[in-house]
Amino acid sequence: MENKKPIIIASGITKSFGSGDLFTTILKGIDVTIIEGEFVAIMGKSGAGKSTLMYQLSVLDEPTSGTLTIANESIERKTENERTSFRLETLGYVFQDYALVPDLNAEENVMVPLVMRGMNWTEARAVARASIDAVGLPTKYKNLPAELSGGEQQRIAVARAVAGKPKILFADEPTANLDSFSSQQVIDLITSLNRDFGQTIVMVTHEREYALGCNRIIHMEDGRIIREEILKPLPE
Amino acid sequence: MRIFRIGLLLGIRQIQRASIWTNVLIVFVMALTFLNLIAVSGILVGLIVGAERAVREDSLGDIIITAKAGDDHISETERIVREISAFPELQTYSVRYSGAGILEANYKERRDLTGERDIANVKVTGIDPVAEESMTGLSDALIDGKYLDPNEEGYILVGALYIKQYAAQFQDIFETIEDVSPGDTVRLTVGNISKEFIIKGILKSKVDEVSLNTYIPEREFRRLFNRVDRNADQIVIRLDEPTENTSVKAALVSSGLGDIAKIQTYEEGVPKFLTDIKNTFNVLGTFIGSIGIVVASITIFIIIFINALARRRFIGILKGIGIDRKAIEIAYVIQAGVYAFLGSLIGVIITYVVLIPYFDANPINFPFSDGILVAEPIGTLVRFLILFIITLLAGYIPAWLIARGNTLNAILGRK
Repeated sequence: MENKKPIIIASGITKSFGSGDLFTTILKGIDVTIIEGEFVAIMGKSGAGKSTLMYQLSVLDEPTSGTLTIANESIERKTENERTSFRLETLGYVFQDYALVPDLNAEENVMVPLVMRGMNWTEARAVARASIDAVGLPTKYKNLPAELSGGEQQRIAVARAVAGKPKILFADEPTANLDSFSSQQVIDLITSLNRDFGQTIVMVTHEREYALGCNRIIHMEDGRIIREEILKPLPE
Repeated sequence: MRIFRIGLLLGIRQIQRASIWTNVLIVFVMALTFLNLIAVSGILVGLIVGAERAVREDSLGDIIITAKAGDDHISETERIVREISAFPELQTYSVRYSGAGILEANYKERRDLTGERDIANVKVTGIDPVAEESMTGLSDALIDGKYLDPNEEGYILVGALYIKQYAAQFQDIFETIEDVSPGDTVRLTVGNISKEFIIKGILKSKVDEVSLNTYIPEREFRRLFNRVDRNADQIVIRLDEPTENTSVKAALVSSGLGDIAKIQTYEEGVPKFLTDIKNTFNVLGTFIGSIGIVVASITIFIIIFINALARRRFIGILKGIGIDRKAIEIAYVIQAGVYAFLGSLIGVIITYVVLIPYFDANPINFPFSDGILVAEPIGTLVRFLILFIITLLAGYIPAWLIARGNTLNAILGRK
């Protein structure tokens, strides 16, 4: 992979919480590089630090120490507003429990980040509908989250995450709250984004079967990367 | 602009998706707050405005002519009357003579000449009964007896506050005579001259000028007070259009009457203490009403705070996916603004469509005034703006407190 372009370079990342007797270090010096177009799964037992690592890599949290470069931009010196703006422009997110805004319908949930990026209302609506069509829910534009099943909500969340064509898509256990059928649908959808469009994806999962479509699995234990497993090399 | 548009969308959707009863309750609280702000000062001020109206209707009219400073009476009263009669704007007028005397009752039954006499120092007003009735409808103030007949002599109207049984509530504030009623004879003494009168009627009004007065026909007044020159003490004028009193006064002054008498509009002639009390009540009402604003702003603060706290996770997610927190704050400010606007709008409608017409038709019966509700449009607008701005702040602060929190903690529901 040395000749591929790295999109995430994390070096010496640590994350600690608390102080005194309650001081705990969750991440203990993580070095990881993720290549553009790569689909990486982070796996490990509960408490291994996989979600915490993903929060650092996805700029939702600030590491205690270490350096992080994403898409050639150094993250650690960015202000809170700059980090918010960076997330909007560069990253997409799929959370465990869908995380749709309950007051907005499906279309509006997808549109809001697009309007925030500067699209006008009409353009954002068209892009949002195309994105919802792409996740297979063309009849659900006006449905509120409460009117959708868990699987449908997660597909709308994927549509929201990718509508703005982010450089990296982060998915934090996207199937954790879904039945097996819906889980497979969501995993197929995420896998197809990488396969068909070369979307860089970092996904945390407990289920090895859902990680089989990845290029690489990072195995974690006790705040450290203990093993990397290459499932399929990146295409040239 | 895009931040505002997103804030607007989020704010409107939050209101739309909220429980209808929650929305109704919040708007109801805002409407009550607005009414509190308007009504408290409005009724306090209305109490004085009601008194002013009564003084204008029952006593002073629209223009008041009195003696110039240094003169005992109005010089050339007859000339003035001739000239004002020619003004087309004039509806009616009354010429009054004023003096002071001692009214004595029950003197015929008095056996012990060393004992205390039943007397009261009274104000005496000489009137043309017909002109005065036309000017102030003085007979409306009669609570007993009849009005003066212009063809009769020897009759007097006595203000109720000079008679003990009517002034009992004021205890010894006023000098009173006792146990008199229409048909009884009283003696009016001015200097060395005394004359007996039969009480024709007793007057009671919320205007002290009427209740603390005695009225006799002007002919008898002039004889009793030896006023042979016919120069009066007060001429009060009512116009067809009361609002024209400033221009009519100017015309009277420029006609030369200003050189021989003091000419004032009602607003200039109204006792200063009434204006002072009105201003004081206005400030007092605004102060009391502002307590309502504080209560409303705390209510809005709590509502928005609980709302934002309950949605803290979604606020975190919105920030997580890159939505500027200003958009989130704007959403809550818009919510608060919509509640304040709707509440105030309902308050305005209730004030101008229901309360003001109601109190005009059914004034509150205060001891010295028929209280109405006064709500000047400018004052209402100012109060609306105050309430609106404070409500926006009350909506902004909790949204700011929640939205500035750590994004990941909000998403994960951590403290």
